[in-house]
Amino acid sequence: MAKVATGVPVGIARTVEKRSWGLALWKTIKRKPMGAVAGFLIVLLVVTAILAEVLAPYDPLDARPERRLTAPNWEHWFGTDDIGRDVLSRVIHGTRISLWVGLLAVGIGTFAGTIIGLISGYWEGWPDLLLQRVMDAVMAIPGLILALAIVSVLTPSTTNAMLAIAMVIIPGNSRIVRGAVLSAKQSPYVEAARALGCPHLRIIARHILPNVTAPILIIASIWLGNAILIEASLSFLGLGTQPPIPSWGLMLSSTGRAFMEQAPWLAIFPGLAIGLTVLSFNLFGDTLRDIWDPKLRQPG
Amino acid sequence: MYTYALRRLLLAIPVLLLSSVIVFGLMRVMPGDALTALMAESGNVSERELQKLRKDLGLDRPYHEQYFLWVWQMVTFDPGYSIFTSEPISVALKQAIPVTVELALLGMGMGLLIAIPVGVLSATRQDKFADYMGRMVAISGLSLPDFWLGTLVITFAAIWFAWIPPLGYTSLWEAPWENLQQFLLPAAVLGFRLSAATMRMTRSTLLEVLRDDYVRTARAKGLVERVIIYKHALKNALIPVVTIVGGQLGTLLAGTVIVETIFALPGMGRLTVEAILFRDYPVVQTNVMLVAATLVTLNLLVDLTYAWLDPRIHYR
Repeated sequence: MAKVATGVPVGIARTVEKRSWGLALWKTIKRKPMGAVAGFLIVLLVVTAILAEVLAPYDPLDARPERRLTAPNWEHWFGTDDIGRDVLSRVIHGTRISLWVGLLAVGIGTFAGTIIGLISGYWEGWPDLLLQRVMDAVMAIPGLILALAIVSVLTPSTTNAMLAIAMVIIPGNSRIVRGAVLSAKQSPYVEAARALGCPHLRIIARHILPNVTAPILIIASIWLGNAILIEASLSFLGLGTQPPIPSWGLMLSSTGRAFMEQAPWLAIFPGLAIGLTVLSFNLFGDTLRDIWDPKLRQPG
Repeated sequence: MYTYALRRLLLAIPVLLLSSVIVFGLMRVMPGDALTALMAESGNVSERELQKLRKDLGLDRPYHEQYFLWVWQMVTFDPGYSIFTSEPISVALKQAIPVTVELALLGMGMGLLIAIPVGVLSATRQDKFADYMGRMVAISGLSLPDFWLGTLVITFAAIWFAWIPPLGYTSLWEAPWENLQQFLLPAAVLGFRLSAATMRMTRSTLLEVLRDDYVRTARAKGLVERVIIYKHALKNALIPVVTIVGGQLGTLLAGTVIVETIFALPGMGRLTVEAILFRDYPVVQTNVMLVAATLVTLNLLVDLTYAWLDPRIHYR
């Protein structure tokens, strides 16, 4: 609107805005090449997950004993497993499981952690004391071990592994949101809103939440890599995704280890897929942290 | 310092109690109870036998009684019996704990052995090839799954060096050489993962310290670069590293679960995973609680060490 008032036609103002957005993106890519590469890999992974059916050359569950344990060749780029399933197709379909579990676990964990952090930081007092002590108690149990204990109660499956990972994410997340809310609460505009008699929920939703989104997104992106790693670990231990669904962790434990010397490709490719995915999310998370919030930047 | 230590100690108690409520509660959320689940898997068992077992395990009592009984058992170091093996849990723990402690200590030692030299190299050759390599190693340590590394390490040691670590577990006191051979690879895998964060921290704090005035003075008076780095700079750079190492205790304990499973070491991690697979809930709840208690205690010790190392910090 201001641009229209200064005499610049609306159409031109729009192109200027568009170009500057593209320019900013280009500048960021140039300044953070590693982050850009990681971002590109993440886009590639998402596309692979969505188009798994189209991209996979074979059915990931189609077992053909006559082609069992074939070494990587032109027909089967990543070789075949002990019952003759195409490893490349299984790795491609595994992307879907890993990303799906990672996204949902982080989504649920972040949502719940944000609500707890908002209540804790906004109201302080006894709700804060109570909630944060419970969070301390959950955090006293190492993530993977907590996830193991939860899965043991809920019976092993992809959904339960996802829920368990979400539970692991909640405490740390709530603490970060709480800290951000505590500092946002001190700002003059929140005081002004309060002085005007704005209801609590409106203050939280309109004034505090937008100011704590950056740390929430940063933590979520860093957690994505970790969540994928925990899912793979749980599946590796036989407590996550169950066969015959192609999950990277499961591929390593079910066939990868047993035929390691005979057919190392069975273990190498799923492992590389996990490593590359987690690496991309770690690098991307680091970059987001550097760009958005220098306060959260950890040395190193 | 003493008031601070006492305050931290008192704060740790409610945290542990709450953790115990969470762990105990978790084990009771299971639809039906643990025994029904166990029996459903093992086939036909008469209702009478089930009742008797339930009574023996104290599962017929109200929840609060079960809870207090369990807490009492934990406090008196007598955590009851395993459902699966019917042996006292304390016997299994006595065998498992030394394995995990040794693995954790060796893993941490390996981690520092990798992290500090590479961190120093990275910092002193900032933005050069060695630095990029060091940082790549660090970030891959954070990203590559340890179960994958473990599997590869075992296989390639066998293929390339025709060497397989002796299977099973021999105590350090019985056959130290065999024991070390068994622990070398698992500790290296664990250490590689741990070294990532420590390496990044060493690099960045050393970079900061190297720009300090006293380092410039040391350079001005003509000290050899090695003396400046190892005698003056590194000492001060290592204080925040202590915190990072302390913060990794959780990763370390979780890492032992995976590494023990791969290398067939009969430690706490493997005991827990097996108990989970067999739904042996008394063992699961005891182990999880024990890990939580260890973590809280170690974190407390790390905080106290930090306060002791850096006298500038005053705690209210």
